Amino acid sequence: MKRAGATLLVTVACVALLAPFLAPNPPERRFQNLLYAPPTRVYIRQGGFRAPYIYEWRMVSRLERSFRESRVRPVPLRWFSDGRFVTAEPDAGAPLLLLGADAYGRDVFARVVYGSRLSLALAAVAAMLALIVGAVIGAVAGYAGGRLDDLLSRVSEFVLVLPSMYVALALRAVMPLVLPPSTVFVMLALIFALFGWPIVARGVRAIIASERQREYTTAARAAGAGPIRVLRQLIPAARGYLTVQGSLLIPAFILAEATMSYVGLGFPDTTATWGTMLQDAANVTLIVDAPWILAPAVGIFAVVLAVNLIVQGTGRAPVQLEK
Amino acid sequence: MTVSRSRYLGAVITATLLVAGFLWWRSSSPSNSLGSNARVVPRRGGQLVASLRSDPRSFNRYVARDFTTDVVTLLTQDRLVRVNRSTFELEPRLAERWESSADGRTHTIHLRRGLAWSDGSPFSAADVLFSFDAVFDRRMESILASGLMVGGRPIRATSPDADTVVISFAGPSGPGIRLLDNLPIIPRHKLQPALAAGTLAKAWDTRTPPADLAGMGAFVLREYQPGQRLVLDRNPHYWRHAEGGTALPYLDRLVLEIVPDQNAELLRLQARAIDMTQDALRPEDFVAARRAEQQGALTMVELGVALDADAFWFCLKPDAKKTDPRFAFVQKPQFRQAISHAVDREEFAQTVFLGEAVPVWGPITSGNRQWFDPNVPRYPPDADKARGLLKEIGLEDRNGNGVVEDATGTEARFAVITQRGVSAYERGTTVLRERAARIGIALDIVPLEFGAMIQKMLASDYEAIYMKPISTDLDPAGNMDFWLSSGSAHIWNLEQKIPATEWEKRIDTLMLEQAASTDDRRRHELFNDVQRILAENLPVLYFAAPRTYSAHSTRVINVTPSVLRPPFLWNADLLAVTGVTNQPRASAP
Amino acid sequence: MIAFLIRRVLFAIVLVVFAASAALVLTRLAPGDVTSQLGPGATQAEIAATRARFALDRGPLAQWLSWAGRAARFDLGESFLYNRPVSPLVRSAALNTAVLAIVALVTATVLGLSCGVVTGSRHDTFAALIKAASFVSISIPPLLASLLLAFVAARTGWLPVGGMSSVNASEMSWGTWLSDVAWHLPLPVLALALPLAATFERLQSQSLAEAFQQPFVLAAVARGVPRTELILRHAWRVSLRAICGVYGIAIGALLSGSFVVEYVTAWPGLGRLMYEALRARDIYLVAGCAAMGSFFLALGTLAGDLLLAVVDPRVREADAT
Repeated sequence: MKRAGATLLVTVACVALLAPFLAPNPPERRFQNLLYAPPTRVYIRQGGFRAPYIYEWRMVSRLERSFRESRVRPVPLRWFSDGRFVTAEPDAGAPLLLLGADAYGRDVFARVVYGSRLSLALAAVAAMLALIVGAVIGAVAGYAGGRLDDLLSRVSEFVLVLPSMYVALALRAVMPLVLPPSTVFVMLALIFALFGWPIVARGVRAIIASERQREYTTAARAAGAGPIRVLRQLIPAARGYLTVQGSLLIPAFILAEATMSYVGLGFPDTTATWGTMLQDAANVTLIVDAPWILAPAVGIFAVVLAVNLIVQGTGRAPVQLEK
Repeated sequence: MTVSRSRYLGAVITATLLVAGFLWWRSSSPSNSLGSNARVVPRRGGQLVASLRSDPRSFNRYVARDFTTDVVTLLTQDRLVRVNRSTFELEPRLAERWESSADGRTHTIHLRRGLAWSDGSPFSAADVLFSFDAVFDRRMESILASGLMVGGRPIRATSPDADTVVISFAGPSGPGIRLLDNLPIIPRHKLQPALAAGTLAKAWDTRTPPADLAGMGAFVLREYQPGQRLVLDRNPHYWRHAEGGTALPYLDRLVLEIVPDQNAELLRLQARAIDMTQDALRPEDFVAARRAEQQGALTMVELGVALDADAFWFCLKPDAKKTDPRFAFVQKPQFRQAISHAVDREEFAQTVFLGEAVPVWGPITSGNRQWFDPNVPRYPPDADKARGLLKEIGLEDRNGNGVVEDATGTEARFAVITQRGVSAYERGTTVLRERAARIGIALDIVPLEFGAMIQKMLASDYEAIYMKPISTDLDPAGNMDFWLSSGSAHIWNLEQKIPATEWEKRIDTLMLEQAASTDDRRRHELFNDVQRILAENLPVLYFAAPRTYSAHSTRVINVTPSVLRPPFLWNADLLAVTGVTNQPRASAP
Repeated sequence: MIAFLIRRVLFAIVLVVFAASAALVLTRLAPGDVTSQLGPGATQAEIAATRARFALDRGPLAQWLSWAGRAARFDLGESFLYNRPVSPLVRSAALNTAVLAIVALVTATVLGLSCGVVTGSRHDTFAALIKAASFVSISIPPLLASLLLAFVAARTGWLPVGGMSSVNASEMSWGTWLSDVAWHLPLPVLALALPLAATFERLQSQSLAEAFQQPFVLAAVARGVPRTELILRHAWRVSLRAICGVYGIAIGALLSGSFVVEYVTAWPGLGRLMYEALRARDIYLVAGCAAMGSFFLALGTLAGDLLLAVVDPRVREADAT
């Protein structure tokens, strides 16, 4: 299971890294007459087998979002051309839309693979930060107990009580109007880490506080170990919690990026991210007609699954309990 | 234990899914598809549920102008005359007939006889006079006052007897009696004490018990559940009767549900939990509505071309842009004309409104039948001409980076702010940006939250904006704030002390003249001139106006659609529902 | 114990004051103010009057001082959007949210913990299905999830598509009204409870699996303790500590109201009120909602800490120091 999870995660990471290569079309390219177009069907048979080819989608009605395949001319697929793994012949006017097109006629597959970079990188960095800060603070609070524990717990509540939207809006006001993506990335990572650490800290605190009373801790203290050394013994008890919480923070941050974007603290509109793609998909009747716009949710699901499969490796129930 | 249990559970889950699927399939085709409602005779009785987005700010229309307050006032209060929102003709309401003096400055209005308020008290001219007193009262600071001024002075009202009111204007007025559509008549017997005490501005807030409210409208407020709904019952003393003699309104009860989310609202409409909404359908929802129509659940209604189109403009306030080197070329009309030539309005209509839109070149669209001028100068899509215009004012791409610069190297790059979350704006700015890029103008689109955008706009702290300014009146004389250079809604250069340009000065003169002229033909001539001047100088660019549609449940009949909001409730006394028996419901005490 | 409670209550007061003040100041700092709600036709006089009414013409500090002075007397100011005092508005919204929150909390706890116990102790297809459902729930943004649930409700007609009560609620007797509200609860409760249940399931699953590694559990297995008793009496209590740690936050967050769910399902609660207040920069209403929300958070974390002490006696000993 662990290996399956690791493989999946590595695959996702590779897809993200190789996005410009894997995407058949640029993610911002709009195909005027292909709004909400369904995925292009790839054929490999015409009489006998031949190289894969597609047909052009002709729009029947823009309002009804209906298309039909124009069988006039089969458009062959080109491999390793134009810096891309596979793409359709550029002049044929029939783009290869593996997952159809969105509301602006942009290639959903391309946007999902390009979007994975920003979304995953941001979520991973922010989750890392939140986990580290939260673990340290939580461990210190749980171990020290008494006044320090009180203080740190209350600090975490102060942070929790700050509504993130207000902070974001206030930040928006003081920032310049047009922000470079790197600034946005750093800012969002910091904001997410800021709002993410308290929940990590509380769980870690609870675990450490209970571990602290265990025999091995008192034994270590009796043997003269300093607090840091004892803490290092205790933290592995929280490892399972940290991994699960991390696996929960990642999708939360991917989705939270869309909320920040709503307030104006997101990446420029043309940039594809999983969160904003899902936010734009908020019209339910549209989803019924064009389910491919939910592709980013599948991406998030894959990441969540992968992380959980890896995480599950630790702490398996003993064999005697299974039948 | 484990194996058989999980098998058993698996079977249960599968069975549940099958049952759920079956129920879903059954319920997606409504069992009662009604045939055509064309010839169903409206009957008294029944209840209608309409949805609104937000709570009312007050029940006092004299101080609050939010949409919900406006709707509630339309339903519970009446006016002396009304502009029919479907035909745009003037109709008598509480007034029965009137005579006007030759110079159009004095009008003698004869009220209907024997009318009563919703609580039974008699209605008379005293109430009309009271309303005029209230709206111009200093302590009241009513928002309606500015709409009832002529020649800068308040309209005066006197009453020679209990059934007559004499209105006098301080000067000639183009709209004339139509101005009286802006004044809901409020009850003297309920509110006189508050006016005398100077607390009328706080009277009739949303905490007021419904029993303390009274109106001449078709309905009476029965209950307000904050955050949830307003329930209105038939006004038993309503003055109007249908042509056959039936006492109006037909409906026993009208419920206004508060549903904040537009997606959820549409779902409720399709599920027939509500009968109508107050917004036009978004283009992306047309298909779902048509499908529901084919299944017999909804009736789609074309409301007409929208009265307002999305607009794009640069900040043209010289004081705000003194130090901005780009202002030198932005303030030249050729710059804006080039952009107008760059945008293909047909493509715009296709992309932004999915084809359901008409190109426009000015603020008055063909939806405003009375004032629209089809001869407004147009800008056919012509990228070469656009580039030529830019070159004329010294903008060329000298360094080959795709963006034009002037001689000093200042790039034509701008940040365009727009409101976040409106799909039409998002699509519109995308098209605009791409088309502008083709002629070398770089536009960075920055969607902002509503409050942030408005603040920047009012402070003239922006480079360019893309949004839809709402006009408040069909008659241009009611929109002077937009046309006059000193106006608070003169969006590209708010509230100028003296007109910044020659053409703005010219528009000022023409608009003042048309507002004071009583000759309809002359007013049209003057206003057409104004529209032409605006289209030539293009301080604001317009691209396309959507054809608007709305939908209501098939059980609602006798609907009079209007392109103004609210599309159906403005004539709520004529609305009826099918399937009522002749038993009237027990109405409110 | 008493000292502990007193400390927490005092702290809660500080937290509430801090949260409300922070909200007040942050709303001041945010671009735009309440006058943008006046609409396009507002005159300068109207704008100035509204500004004065909400003390926006004075500096943030002056405004905060006068607000704090009145707040100490429990006068939280007036709301622009509703034209009425803030306190009753916030109280009734909080009540509506509390109803929703309590039901959602119970649902999520029961569902999440039981599913977590199952997935933590078994590794068959059934557990895999539950885990998959959890992952799906975590991967879908709350907006989409609420809309999808609303869509299902609309299509099938099983449940009302939003709202807290039916159209003729005012004419119902108490009993009918209660059942009417109960009929309107499942949609928002599901929208709220499913993601939370997924979180609980994940945490419970992990910590239960970890608990099985504890020596005393292995000893119990060796002693031949039957499976169910093993899980429930031995391993489970130990596995609850991490959940109790975050339970308080969950309580606080639920009671503060989820704006998305309340917005989509038209539930007249605190989350929706707070969001609308923020959108409109209705400054005193914002502060009032933040105060209420932080009160619930303090309450929630206190409840979580007490729960932790009940569940894990070792922690209680530590607190006694």
